[in-house]
Amino acid sequence: MQPFEQYLRLMTRRHFFGRAGLGLGTAALASLLPERQAAATGGLPGLPHFEPRAKRAIYLFMAGAPSQMDLLDYKPRMDELFDQDLPDSIRQGQRLTTMTSGQSRFPVAPSKFKFTQHGQQGTWVSELLPHTAKMVDDLAIVRSVYTEAINHDPAITYICTGHQLPGRASLGAWLSYGLGSLNDDLPAFVVMTPSWTGRKEAQALYNRLWGAGFLPSRHQGVALRSQGDPVLFLSNPPGVDQEGRRRALDRLARFNQRTYERFADPETQTRIEQHEMAFRMQSSVPELTDISGEPQHVLDMYGPDVQKPGTFAASCLLARRMAERNVRFVQIFHRGWDQHANIAGDLPNQARDVDQPAWALIQDLKQRGLLDETLVVWGGEFGRTIYCQGKLTRENYGRDHHPRCFTIWLAGGGIKPGIVHGETDDFSYNIVRDPVHIHDLNATILHCLGINHRRLSFKFQGLDMRLTGVEDHQPVRALLDA
Amino acid sequence: MLCQTPRPWFPRLAAVMLTVCLPFVVRSSAVADEEIDFNRDIRPLFSDKCFACHGPDDAHREGGFRLDQKASALGQADSGATVIVPGQPDGSELIARITSDDDSLRMPPAESDKTLTADEIARIRQWIGQGAQWQEHWSLVAPRRPELPVVQDAAWPRNPIDRFVRARQEALGLPHAPQADPYTLVRRVTLDLTGLPPTIAEVEAFVNDKSPEAYERLVDRLLRSQACGQHMARFWLDAARYGDTHGLHLDNYREMWPYRDWVVQAFNDNLPYDQFVIQQLAGDLLPNPTLDQLVATGFNRAHVTTNEGGSIAEEVYVRNVVDCTVTFGTVFMGLTLDCTRCHDHKFDPLTMQDFYSLFAFFNSMDGSPLDGNRKDPAPVIKVPTDQQQQQLADYDRQLAAAEQRLAGPWPEVDQQQAEWERQLAAAGEPAADPAAGALTLSDWHSVGPFNDTQRYLFARKHGPEDKPIKLDQSFELADGAKVAWVRHPEWKDGVVHQGLPGDEAANFLYRTLTVAEPRKVAISLGSDDALKVYLNGKQVLAKDIARAAAADQETLELELKAGENQLLLKVMNYGGASGFYFAVKSGGTVIPAEILTLARKPAEERSAAEQQSLRDYYRNKVSSAAELEAARSELAKLREARAAVDREIPTTLIFRDTKDPKPAHCLKRGEYDQPGDQVERRTPLALPPLADDLPRNRLGLAQWLVSPQHPLTARVAVNRFWLQLFGTGLVKTAEDFGSQGEPPSHPLLLDWLALQFVEDGWDIKATMKRMVMSATYRQSSRVVPDVHRRDPANRLLTRGPRFRLDAEMLRDQALHVSGLLSEQMGGPSVKPPQPDGLWFAVGYSGSNTVRFKADAGHDKVHRRTLYTFIKRTAPPPQMSIVDAPSREACVVRRERTNTPLQALLLLNDPQYVEAARGLAQRALREGGADAASRAAYMFRLCTARPPADEELQDLVAGFQEELAHYQQHPAEAARLVQVGEAPAPSPDEVIEVAAWTALANMLLNLDEVVTKN
Repeated sequence: MQPFEQYLRLMTRRHFFGRAGLGLGTAALASLLPERQAAATGGLPGLPHFEPRAKRAIYLFMAGAPSQMDLLDYKPRMDELFDQDLPDSIRQGQRLTTMTSGQSRFPVAPSKFKFTQHGQQGTWVSELLPHTAKMVDDLAIVRSVYTEAINHDPAITYICTGHQLPGRASLGAWLSYGLGSLNDDLPAFVVMTPSWTGRKEAQALYNRLWGAGFLPSRHQGVALRSQGDPVLFLSNPPGVDQEGRRRALDRLARFNQRTYERFADPETQTRIEQHEMAFRMQSSVPELTDISGEPQHVLDMYGPDVQKPGTFAASCLLARRMAERNVRFVQIFHRGWDQHANIAGDLPNQARDVDQPAWALIQDLKQRGLLDETLVVWGGEFGRTIYCQGKLTRENYGRDHHPRCFTIWLAGGGIKPGIVHGETDDFSYNIVRDPVHIHDLNATILHCLGINHRRLSFKFQGLDMRLTGVEDHQPVRALLDA
Repeated sequence: MLCQTPRPWFPRLAAVMLTVCLPFVVRSSAVADEEIDFNRDIRPLFSDKCFACHGPDDAHREGGFRLDQKASALGQADSGATVIVPGQPDGSELIARITSDDDSLRMPPAESDKTLTADEIARIRQWIGQGAQWQEHWSLVAPRRPELPVVQDAAWPRNPIDRFVRARQEALGLPHAPQADPYTLVRRVTLDLTGLPPTIAEVEAFVNDKSPEAYERLVDRLLRSQACGQHMARFWLDAARYGDTHGLHLDNYREMWPYRDWVVQAFNDNLPYDQFVIQQLAGDLLPNPTLDQLVATGFNRAHVTTNEGGSIAEEVYVRNVVDCTVTFGTVFMGLTLDCTRCHDHKFDPLTMQDFYSLFAFFNSMDGSPLDGNRKDPAPVIKVPTDQQQQQLADYDRQLAAAEQRLAGPWPEVDQQQAEWERQLAAAGEPAADPAAGALTLSDWHSVGPFNDTQRYLFARKHGPEDKPIKLDQSFELADGAKVAWVRHPEWKDGVVHQGLPGDEAANFLYRTLTVAEPRKVAISLGSDDALKVYLNGKQVLAKDIARAAAADQETLELELKAGENQLLLKVMNYGGASGFYFAVKSGGTVIPAEILTLARKPAEERSAAEQQSLRDYYRNKVSSAAELEAARSELAKLREARAAVDREIPTTLIFRDTKDPKPAHCLKRGEYDQPGDQVERRTPLALPPLADDLPRNRLGLAQWLVSPQHPLTARVAVNRFWLQLFGTGLVKTAEDFGSQGEPPSHPLLLDWLALQFVEDGWDIKATMKRMVMSATYRQSSRVVPDVHRRDPANRLLTRGPRFRLDAEMLRDQALHVSGLLSEQMGGPSVKPPQPDGLWFAVGYSGSNTVRFKADAGHDKVHRRTLYTFIKRTAPPPQMSIVDAPSREACVVRRERTNTPLQALLLLNDPQYVEAARGLAQRALREGGADAASRAAYMFRLCTARPPADEELQDLVAGFQEELAHYQQHPAEAARLVQVGEAPAPSPDEVIEVAAWTALANMLLNLDEVVTKN
């Protein structure tokens, strides 16, 4: 090949999940289940930095901050301290949000929910998560994650982009930028924002949570929607069928080819390919979201909500289908976890939304041999306080934001199964063993995907920007499967 | 203009060719026969690989030397070895360490994850060998007027720009490109100066104008057009991070589009850049600032804000001021000040002290750091339209007349008053009448404003609500400020009191009513938008109805207990003026003693004020004459009408300082709660000092910025203008002129442009004109393979600019060629259609932007994209898919990507489909009678040029093909032509319109059309 042509080929790869050497007008419906061994397109040279344990990841994000002591961080001693003031020795003068900093008392609110032991380690799990309880031997539960932000917007922006203020790249954008795409017909980073049934007035999400920040915008997460087109503007206009579209694209390619002959601009070739890619997506995306071929026993596993588009259960099933199709990163943002009040009423609904589908996702991946190479993460942006916000009774109570500890779990590719990492004090207020900063958590996620978090950087505003910031943070070795 | 034939390449250049192929062209300019240039070739290496440990940061320096300062770099390290010995690479410890075989000695150290390539080491060695010529970092040294380079190709340059460009090309043996053809040129320059494509008539006029001044005439016309300011403004709005919502948490609507309109007007008026800077940074500090100058200060308020429950005001305050400071650094100086928030800069000579000394200029805003989820968090200013101003003046005149009439002589009523006075005088001291239950009213007390959003004002409890009233109590507002009860002896009953503070706010009014025996008392009330009344802690009235306060809007019977009764009013205002009215309608109020005294005084002995006071009392509290009631009701109606106009007046966020500056501190690790030493307002030490005669405030800071000796301001500005036209700045990293940024590709050209800019009186249009008049700009953008290989990114400007249009230009172009574009300028942002559910998918349930509702009507849905409403947490997909930033943070350089999602947008978005139909209908209307002429017409509208024969045949064949298809599928045709708001074609045209629409849709997707060629 002539050097100039080689150069052009190189240039035309410089795009969103591009595919080189595509014949014009020949784009048949692409193979529906592409090779899982497919080589990545895009991505940086030299990445992954080492042999990855996970090829892809699914992040089940519990937006609003689940109450750790009502779900996975069992604190039996609190029962005796019902309505007693949180000792100063525990609070240690830490700052509080202004929603409770004016409270005259900080009375302990023990969890009203029953906990029982499960799995080989006898891990305590709340009655609100009966399915999660069944799979603790697959999970690495981390009870000692912490952050600095105490309000939702900065905290969720922090854990998703590494910084409390807008403007940085999100985890998925970093993965797309660093590792590229394994599927030529679907985006590398897909986001879903399902419905929820707990607290109606839910915290907001922000497009920046899956934005590209300073990275090229082709790395931003593509929202897979449950209403209208699953991907924005996917459908042809009314009155234009797929054959008409094909005719138009062939015509377009002829014109663009002439333009290329006139200007010889490699971007023109890229544009021709992007139109073909768009055409392929018009088949690959509906094929992805069509679950009519799923066997009943699989649907049953996810529970009744799976048939309702836009539920967490439906999103989990789609996440599995995307894992099969080698989508690099899927993130599901489930909202409604901000239980300042009425934990008794709202938290069981929230837990019911996610418990069975998350369990089903793990089982489904496992049964298909995908769990070993797919990292799954479950968790929110911070924790909640042991002390009550608002009115306290044995039966009902509320909890304020608590950044100093919260619980998440990880499973699958690269993660040591069946462990509990980290420990909090009797009040689930301070970490007493193995603290894990949210940057450490993100470094761990990157590590599982074969990335040294210190070496994945992008020069912006004079700095080598990283997802994990400038301080010294490390992947949590104890969580990694040897 | 002829294409310069490339000179034969000399063999000695062959080795260089490999490096020239690298995309990083600027670096590759270090050809073998060029002397190594420290700033271009060496400093970036030191900065990237070494400064982290051997740079400006005093707190973290290894080995006791730094490579950003000559004396230290040429001196001794802690070890005693000399770091760099000029002329002696082998005697320099630096070379020994970067070439060491010993892993523990070799620099950069392994844990830094940085390495030097063999080529880079060779370059450093060469530089030391050539004598280690040191230069200060280029951007911190004020530009000096360069000599215009002499070029061999003397015929080509049209202005000095071309001399600089050509000189560099000649040094590297590169050709320039021939001038673009006139069709390409007219489209290019029209897009670049107005953001819109040329009309066919404009193209024809230019192409047929054979005079030498044709192009200049074209440029001058474009620079004069109103579209020019709209186009220039949108680049600035990215930098200013302008949006229509707060950007954080609730992300409610925020009103500051008058600032956007100010920017457009400033460009259209060609406001000199120094004034442009001064007015935005410090318009409020100018002597007698005009409304426009105040509106301009919105620049410093455009950052994202929050009112998230639980927020700590001081933390948010620090974030806001940091954003102002960092944006100031990026936009005006190309400095990355963010780094110095937590520590001294690792790469540039900027310290934390510098940062917080700049911070101190911005830290005294007279308003809450929390936005209250309001559209108009203080300080704001009303920006009435001319029409509104006129209406208000009219109402004020009518009100004054009505008030005068009410207060003036009124013979019949005055006669009744005289009779009343006589009776009072005759009655003597009124006997206490316990049976009638005399009522004693205390003075009014008030507290407020309790700001909240409209929906919460009524629903939530605020301040003293639901609590025992204690008049010595004070209340903390959301922003941390305290408010206390204020007594109002001056508030008389029976008149409307205007002027309760706050727009979206609740005020509480309190007084006691004392009676000897339990009894009922009827009262009459008025208030604006909503009212709650509590008697002795029990709610007795709740009304939520938008209105202006007037007399007798509510009447109410209070059941008083014996002794003191507590009456609490919660008056809620949703915007505009706020007021209330109170009168006792029944039940024997005691006539105040001073009124009794006055009434007994003979009329001729009363002063005018006394006379008036008595008259007011009589007319407001005693008389029930029908004519008075009528006059009062007319007055109330006028007030209501005025308030309605007042409420419609847009507001915009402005900047204003508190009376005394707030002290500023160096914040340890950048933490808001870790204040260190107090700092004074000053400018960074590495830059020229703030002149003694400049004030130590934002005005002085702005004047310092535009003072002639400032090395950065003009360079940064002209670089952005260059970036706008050429796609890449002379300094590629337009946001970073520091040592981590890229050095300029043409440093002398940058300096020349900057100095010329200042000399021209910071004339923006003159600068734009200079650039587009250059031969460099007018080159053909055709790629010549050999040249492309050596200049792939066109940093050496060997061809004209060619790149994809920005999001706004794509949509505006589609609307323009289809004939749909509305030319209406300014006003509130508009919401053209977008797919359902995008806001709802992310929005906070209680946000007033949680549900998107598309606007309707030509002037809303077909406006220039500049006016599209930007919800910052979910920006319009028509923008974000095509690389437009979310406006959450300052962006001075957009990415430019090429993705399938863009293809889907341009092919399928109903707005683009509607534009295609518009184009089709326009071709049928205006494009001649046969398919060929219509096809050619559409093609010319989209590309500015006539189609080649082959292209025309292709178009006509395509039309025939689509026509045949839709003739067989008429129902499909009917569906296609219904997309969009524009009127559908007549039934007999449907098939034909559908076929042309399919073709137009393809045309709007042509690479040639979505690209500036």
